This record gives sequence, C-alpha cells and structure tokens, in this order.
Amino acid sequence: MIKASLRGLLQRKLRLSLAVFAIVLSVGFLSAILVLSATLNAQFSTLFSTINQNVAVRVEAGEPGPRAPRLTAAQVRDLAATDGVAAASPEVSAEGVVPYRAGDDTPVGTDQALGFGVDGRDDPLGLVALREGAWPAAADEVAVSAHTAEQARVKRGDRLKVYLPVLNEPRTFRVVGVVGIAGGRDSLAGETMVLFQEAFAQQTFYGETGVYAGVSFSAADGVSQELLRDRITAKLPSGFTARTAAEVNDEQAAAVSTQFDFFTYILVGFAVLAGVVGVFLIYNTFNIIVAQRTRELALLRALGAGWGQVAGSVLLEALVVSAVGATVGLSAGIGLGYWGEAALAEQLTMDPVPVVVAPSTVLLAYALGIVATMVAAFIPAIKASSVPPVAAMRDLSRPDRSLLGLSLTGAAFALPGAGLVLLGALADLGGAGFLVLLGGAVLLLLGSLLLAPLLARPVIRALGFVLGRGQAGRLGVRNALRNPRRTAVTAVALTVGVMMVGTAATVIESFKSSLTEALGTSAGVEVLIQAQLNAAPDGTQGFDPKALERVRAIPGVEEAAAWHFDAADVAVAGQPQFVFATDVAQAARMFSMKTVSGSLRSLGARELVLDENTAEALGLSAGEQTKVRLGPVERQYTVVAVYEPTPLVSGILVGPAAVADFNGPLAMQGLVSLDEGVDAAPVVAQVEQIMKDYPGVRVGDRQSYVEQSSAQLDGLLLGIQLLLVVSLVIAALGILNTLMLSVTERTRELGLVRAIGLSRGGVVAMVNVESILTAVFGVALGLALGVGLGAALTQALIRLKFATAITVPWTQLAAYLVVAVLAGVVAAILPARRAARLNVLDAIAYE
Amino acid sequence: MTSPLTEPRADRNPGAAAAAVDLWKVYGSGEAQVVALRGVNCALERGRFTAIMGPSGSGKSTLMHCLAGLDSVTRGQVSIGETAVTGLSDAGLTKLRRDKVGFIFQQFNLLPTLSAEENILLPLAIAGRRPDPAWYATVIDTVGLRDRLHHRPSQLSGGQQQRVACARALVARPEVIFADEPTGNLDSRSGAEVLAFLRRSVTEYGQTIIMVTHDANAASYADRVIFLADGQIVDELASPTADAVLDRIKRLDTAAVATGATE
Repeated sequence: MIKASLRGLLQRKLRLSLAVFAIVLSVGFLSAILVLSATLNAQFSTLFSTINQNVAVRVEAGEPGPRAPRLTAAQVRDLAATDGVAAASPEVSAEGVVPYRAGDDTPVGTDQALGFGVDGRDDPLGLVALREGAWPAAADEVAVSAHTAEQARVKRGDRLKVYLPVLNEPRTFRVVGVVGIAGGRDSLAGETMVLFQEAFAQQTFYGETGVYAGVSFSAADGVSQELLRDRITAKLPSGFTARTAAEVNDEQAAAVSTQFDFFTYILVGFAVLAGVVGVFLIYNTFNIIVAQRTRELALLRALGAGWGQVAGSVLLEALVVSAVGATVGLSAGIGLGYWGEAALAEQLTMDPVPVVVAPSTVLLAYALGIVATMVAAFIPAIKASSVPPVAAMRDLSRPDRSLLGLSLTGAAFALPGAGLVLLGALADLGGAGFLVLLGGAVLLLLGSLLLAPLLARPVIRALGFVLGRGQAGRLGVRNALRNPRRTAVTAVALTVGVMMVGTAATVIESFKSSLTEALGTSAGVEVLIQAQLNAAPDGTQGFDPKALERVRAIPGVEEAAAWHFDAADVAVAGQPQFVFATDVAQAARMFSMKTVSGSLRSLGARELVLDENTAEALGLSAGEQTKVRLGPVERQYTVVAVYEPTPLVSGILVGPAAVADFNGPLAMQGLVSLDEGVDAAPVVAQVEQIMKDYPGVRVGDRQSYVEQSSAQLDGLLLGIQLLLVVSLVIAALGILNTLMLSVTERTRELGLVRAIGLSRGGVVAMVNVESILTAVFGVALGLALGVGLGAALTQALIRLKFATAITVPWTQLAAYLVVAVLAGVVAAILPARRAARLNVLDAIAYE
Repeated sequence: MTSPLTEPRADRNPGAAAAAVDLWKVYGSGEAQVVALRGVNCALERGRFTAIMGPSGSGKSTLMHCLAGLDSVTRGQVSIGETAVTGLSDAGLTKLRRDKVGFIFQQFNLLPTLSAEENILLPLAIAGRRPDPAWYATVIDTVGLRDRLHHRPSQLSGGQQQRVACARALVARPEVIFADEPTGNLDSRSGAEVLAFLRRSVTEYGQTIIMVTHDANAASYADRVIFLADGQIVDELASPTADAVLDRIKRLDTAAVATGATE
C-alpha cells in the first residue's frame, strides 16, 4: 500500500510539484522573515557589545534628556575613586549635531548625528582612537570619525560647518583630527560623530562647563561587573543609576530592535498571509488530485484496500510532499535571510554577522509546511476513502454536491458580521465602535469566503457576459461555472489581500480628499515648513520660531504660524497625550476652527483649548481646571475653549508661553498663508533659503502638506500593496495549478471540441477566459468587501470629525482589476499551451 | 485474392465522399515498429452508408482516423470531397473538421457543461454559423429528443446521449460523418435505435456515413461493408445481411488461422 502511494506520487510529478512550490513559497517567506529578525537582533547585540566592550559599569541620569541632572567633575572623581575601578570615562554628548557636506553646503543626511566633548587624552576605554592629527584643544577645533570625514568630504585641516543643537545654529570649525572606532571601524552603525573640545561642548550642550551626563567605568582585574555596580550605586548622587555593561547592552539592543518591530510585524503579516493562501492552494491541489484518482482509488478499494488504507495513502503523499516542500522552503528562507541581512548591513554600513537560524524558526517552518499541508489534505483524504468500489467501473460524473450547508454557515457568519460593521460605522459607540467594526469585518470576511462558491455562479455569469465573447469564450465561462467550489477556493486566495488594499485605499483616499477639501475651505495653508524627526517631537528638533519673522517679511505672505509639538513625556489629566503649542487665535483664523464652548483667543501661560472628542475622553469642559505635565514639570491649566475637530486640527493646544516647559524651544511646523493671487512657488524658494540652516527642515506647498499629513498612511498602503503582490503571486500560482489540473481532467472534452472544429487559438481563448474569470471574481469579491469596509471605517472617522466625506479611489480599484486580468492571463499561459498542444486523437481516447 | 477495390483509383472517382490512395500508417520504429495500414486504396461513395469491419488490430479504426484527418499518415493520400487532407496544417484541419466532417464516438463525448441542445448546436456555434431552423427541427424530431433538449448529459441515458451526439454530427450537414463504434457502449435496444436513425439519415436525407464496427448486426444496416485484415482491405460486401457478414468474418478468421499456420 505504501509502495503504491509512493509510486503514484512519482507518476504525478507535475501536479505535485505545483503543490510543493506552494509550500516552498509560504514556508520560504516565513522562515526568511524569522531568520532576518533573529539575525538583526544578533547584529545589534554585536554593535552594543562593541560599544561597551571595555565598560564594566555605566552611570547615567535616571531620566535622560535636556532637563536631566548633571554630574560635576568632583562627583566624577569621587566615583572614579571607588575600590575596583580601573578607569573612568566621563561623557559629554548630544544628538542632532549635524555636519554639513563641504562644497554643496547641505546637511549630511543621517538619522544618527552625534557630538561629544573630549578632554584631549586618549579614550581610557578604547572605544575611539586617533587615526591622524590631534584631539581638539580649542573651541573652534573638532575631530571627526573617519565615516564623518568621508560623508562630509573633509580631511584634516579643512573647515567643517556643524549644526549645534541647543544653540540651534550652525558654526564653522577646523578639523584637526580623524578618529576610528574600536575594531578598525569607520563608524559604529553609519552614524556621524563630531568631537569637540570638552569645555566648549559642555558650555554648548549643557549651558555650563565642568559637568557631565554620565560616566563609564572599567573594572580592575577580579572585580565583577555586578560587584562594581553595587559599590558605585552606594555612592551615587540622587537622580542617577548605575548599570552593568551587560544590562546596558540588553537594553540598548532591545530599544533598537523595537524600531524594527513595525517592519517585523509587516513581514510576519506577509508570512501569515502567504501561509493562509498557501493552505487554500494546497487544499485545492489535493482535492483535484484525489478527484482525478477516483478510479484508481476505487480500484484499490475493489481489490480489498480498507478506507483507512486509502485515506492513509493520500495523507502519506501529503506528508512526503510537505516534508520536501518545507525543507526546500526553509533552505530558501535561510538564503533569503542571508541576502536580506547583507543588504541591511550594507544599508546601515555595519559589518554583516552570520545568519541566525533559531530552533524555533526551523520548528515554525516545518509546522507551517507540514501541518498546513496535512490539514489541507485531510478533507480530500476522507473524501478519497469514501469512494465506493463501483466507481472504478463507472465514469466519474458525480452529481454536484449541494452548496446549501456551506452557504448557510457562510451566511451565519456574514450577516451578523455585516450587522456589526454597520453598527460600528453608524452607531455612536465611542472608541468601542472601531472594535465592533473590526470584529464584524473578520466575521464578514470568513462568511464571505464560505459564501464564495454560492456567489461564484451569478458573479461569473454576469462577468461572462462581458468577457465570454465567441463560442470559445462561452465554453470558458461554462468551465469556470462547472465547479463553483473549485473556482471559489482558487479565487479567494486573491480576496483577502485585495480586501485589505481596498479598505486601506478607500480610507486613505477619503482622508486625503477630506484634507484637501478642508484646506480649500479654510483661509488656507499655502506653504508648509516641516521638521523631519527621528524621535518623538519634544522641541529639540525643528527650527527657531524667530525665523518666521523673516518669512513674514517676504512679500505676499499673509500669516506665518509656528507650531510646537511635545509628545515625548506628556500627560494631561493623568493620561498620556500630545500637546501642540501655537497662537490659538491665529490657528482659528487660518483653519476656520469652530467653537463648541468658550472662545478661541490667544492663550496665556497655563491655558489650553481642546477638541470635543478629547474633551469627552478626558472628561473636561470649558472653564475647568486640569493638570498638565510636560516632562518633570506639572502645572494646573485652565480649559479656555472646546472646539470642533477637523481633519487638520484636533487635540490639545496650549499657548506659545508653554514652550518654556518643553524640552526644547524649536518649532516643528510652520504654516504660511499667502495674500490672494500670490504664487506659492517663489515663496517656497525663499522660505527654503531662510530654513537652510536648520538641518532636516523641509519646505513645501499645499499639496506637499496633504502628502506630508498622509505620508505615514501612504507608507501603510504601500506595505499592504506589497502584501497584495505576495498574495497575487501565490494566487496566480493557484490558478495555474487549478487550470493545469483541469486541463488534464478535461483532456477528452478538449479533444472533442478540437474534433468538431475549435481551433488551437479557440482552446487558448477558452482557458484564458476561465483563468481571467477566476482572478477577476477573487478581486471583485475582495474589492467589494474592501470598499464596503473602507466606507464603514471612514463613516466612523467622519463621526469623529477626522474626515468629512467618503471617497472611493476608482482609478486605483480599476488598476487592481486590470492587474487581476493580467494575473489571469499570465496564469493561463502554461495550461492553455498544454491544452492547445493536445493531440486530438490521443485526447479523445484519453481515459 | 485480388479485390476489385484496388482498382479503380480513388482520384479517378469524383463521386467519392472520402478516399484513400496507397495509404500506409506505421507506428514506432525499429524493433517496436507496427504497420497498421499497408497500402490501402478505397473510395467511399457519397450518399451511402459504409461500414468498415475487421478483427481487433486489423487497422479499421486507424483507417477511419486517417480518413477523417484525426491522425497523420505515413505515406499515401487522403481526400475528403475535393479537399486533399494529407499535408493540411493544423488550421486547415480545423477548418476541414469545422466545415466538412462530423464525428460520432463510442464514448459519446458530450460536454457536461452544456445542455443537449447546446451540445447539438456546438459545431455550428464554433463555426459561427446559424442553424437552418427547418433542418434543425427535422434532426431533433428524427432523433426524438424534443423533450430532452434542456437536459444535461448527466441527466440522459446512454442511448439518449448517443442520439444527442448523432444529432450534433448531423445538424451541420457535413460532407461525411465518421462513426467510431457508435453502438459499442449501448445496450442492444438503444443500439438498434441509433443505427435505425443513422440509416434513415442516409436513405431520407442523403447523408454520407462511414462507420467502424465489429458488430455484424450493426454492419447489416450499411449499404456496403469493407473488411480489413492486417492493414489491408481483404473483402467487401454490398447490401449485407447480418448472416452474410458473419459468414464472411468466419471465413476471414479461418483464412487468418490458416495463414498463421503456414508461417
């Protein structure tokens, strides 16, 4: 029996190789992602152990930031005198110290731009060492890392312009030395590094000389990190903590890898989708293979095989196929992970580390490959075992099974799901509305997948009127209709991905059009100044609001408003919030804000206004008092007004006076309105000139404002579109697979239609139409669900005033349909060729 | 034995619906070579019902497949009406099948997705032609399917399915209909119905039919029976009865045994 099923396996190489390919694709994707993220973690662990290689204990302020307490030189000396300390390296540092490229005078674009103060002696912990020249000894001297020198195109003796945070202006220095990083590196991870004379750095970054942000200590021989940490902790001034290098490594590596979490989540989403779609594909493949083998299996039954043996032979086949598929997939995944790591290391200018293949990766890969396949093969196996022996003697024309049970189950999911979606969209449920909506969406999707075979008939018939031209086309339509289950299972591989894209596209399009409409109706922001951030906004990045004085002086400028953001560590009424600081009276004019209660006037210190959603969430109303905490500073504020939120303005607004409590004085956004009929382009150019000294600050017109506001959403859409591409590839493969099997199954019919006069081209057209109909059905179902859900979500957003109208992105939807047609055509190439090349006589005689 | 059929040559007979001249068909090569047809010459007249008989392996099905343009020939010529079949491209063969030839198979070969009526009209639909309503009515009345037109093949009995296949072959009024063991899968009653129907279409409507069969009773419906053995035409019989056919077969078998014994 085992021999029979293994031999059967070898004889159906083509059909099964498609199933193997499906498994390879899903498993390969998943394992590549797991390998890549494990390797990335290893990469960052390596990075931080380099930084801390000679460090035993590190002392830092408990709450880092501009307001953190500093260590005095005396305190550092005292700590360094602790028994067991071998060497101490006090730290003076700042982020956002951006060098400018010599020649074109543009900021060197990097997320990490570090500045340090050095005391003229070699680094006692050996992290940085001079390669050439000398340490900076005067206020106008700097040393730079080799990577910085390369990026800024400077060498020893050149002049280097550097933007200084806190001072918030660029200054020019003379490069006196070039340093390298431990391990012969030019940089740790692609960051720029500028080293200043210590006293100058202290004065610039901390506002006084002789103070330090922290100290790193190395331990004497025989003193453990833990022991030294405990000894130092005993002597620490308040507000500081001491941690061992191991603790610091773990924390830093964890902090960095959380930056990649979003990335990992998207990839895991891909992998799950690939897995789910793969299950569909595998299920379909096994189902068809078993259907084709009905005679063979019935013969086995007639010869005395028990049903268990028949089911077992199908499952054994599945096991062999999945083990092969999972192994190949895992290998492909490791290869992909290796390639991805190499590409990322190159991107981050880090040395690549060997790929990490965790046992859990191997386990998950095989679990997906084998379990998914076994689950997919189980139902066909049961079906196979129930083949009556007489089927061996009969033609296998079993009547269509009723879709009633399946459809009723589908309706039992879909109807309540649709109800919940409507409830979430239309009823006023507050924040819970979205949960209700999403829960409903999941039910609706599940129900729709079960209803797909029922829907396939009318939808494909309707589509057939458009696509089924000529007799060949009509035969293709009939073939697509003949087994609605098969067509539906093949098509829905596309549905899930398309639904997600459809939903996202509809919400984003609606949001954008709402934004554009709002900008059109309000006084209008024509020019936008925007800081690019690499951390939560807290006033330490952006531009000096005083620069707007010069903007206001540009002819044609009506108003220019500075907006400060603080989202770093802010709580209002005890809850974490964002806070915006601006001139509220001006904002009310520029954005046509509407008052719910109170008045939208310019705010003094300790006054705020908020939108009605936030007011409701915090339980505040105009005239009430509430506590606002900005970092360590907590004050009592008065609610001056409650306003109606719009897609442009929502949240908590305070006056410019409150910026004094922000971490930094810089504005993140500048909004400029122009006089009637003034062209924005020349103003943008002039504002760009003014903002040139602030690295990372961009200037654009109104359209760029809309794009800016929806940039993150567009990124999300792009991610989901990539997801669609993955599901499209797998779905096209599924269509190819199904058609290939159908062509084999219908060999005799193909011979017949050829015998009675259908040309080769006609056969190709017939297979093409079936393929396209399948793809278009899957996409149409996905789009219908997606647009419906998108509209429901947008309706919920409209109730919260984040949007004003539902806009359906027709062109995008049409593009997805075109892509579906193309996918159908591509998927049909091989099966159609096979069908057209059949020898008429052989085909008619085919059993 | 010299058959009168070796002369006259087919190309001298303009009245032939289908003809073969020195037709050879060889399968495989070397050791595995099988010669299915050894220089067959025949002309099958228009408006007649011709049966091709012979024992298994005599080449009767191969001859029909070659005549119908379903199989390539190794040597010799085949023509249907005025058209030379040998040497036609796939497109030419498609057009030939579309316009001049009808088929009836042992396995019925109906499309399961189409109703009886759609199956009958399929060749016309593929060719993009409209049926002649009067002829269509005649055909379905002759096969007696008027009340079954909207059924699917799976809802029809074997005999009914074969009658649908017959109607499909007839409705396009081809020059010639090739029937390959049309009663092979039917019980005797259904078989008799189908044969009577084929007979009528020849007698009443002048249709040309060439049928391959190994059933003497089926052959007795034909105007003429050609006997094949070892890839050659060895005998023929005009206006056959079942008994006469059986008698000839018996003689052929004896001859074959005798030949086998002398070798």
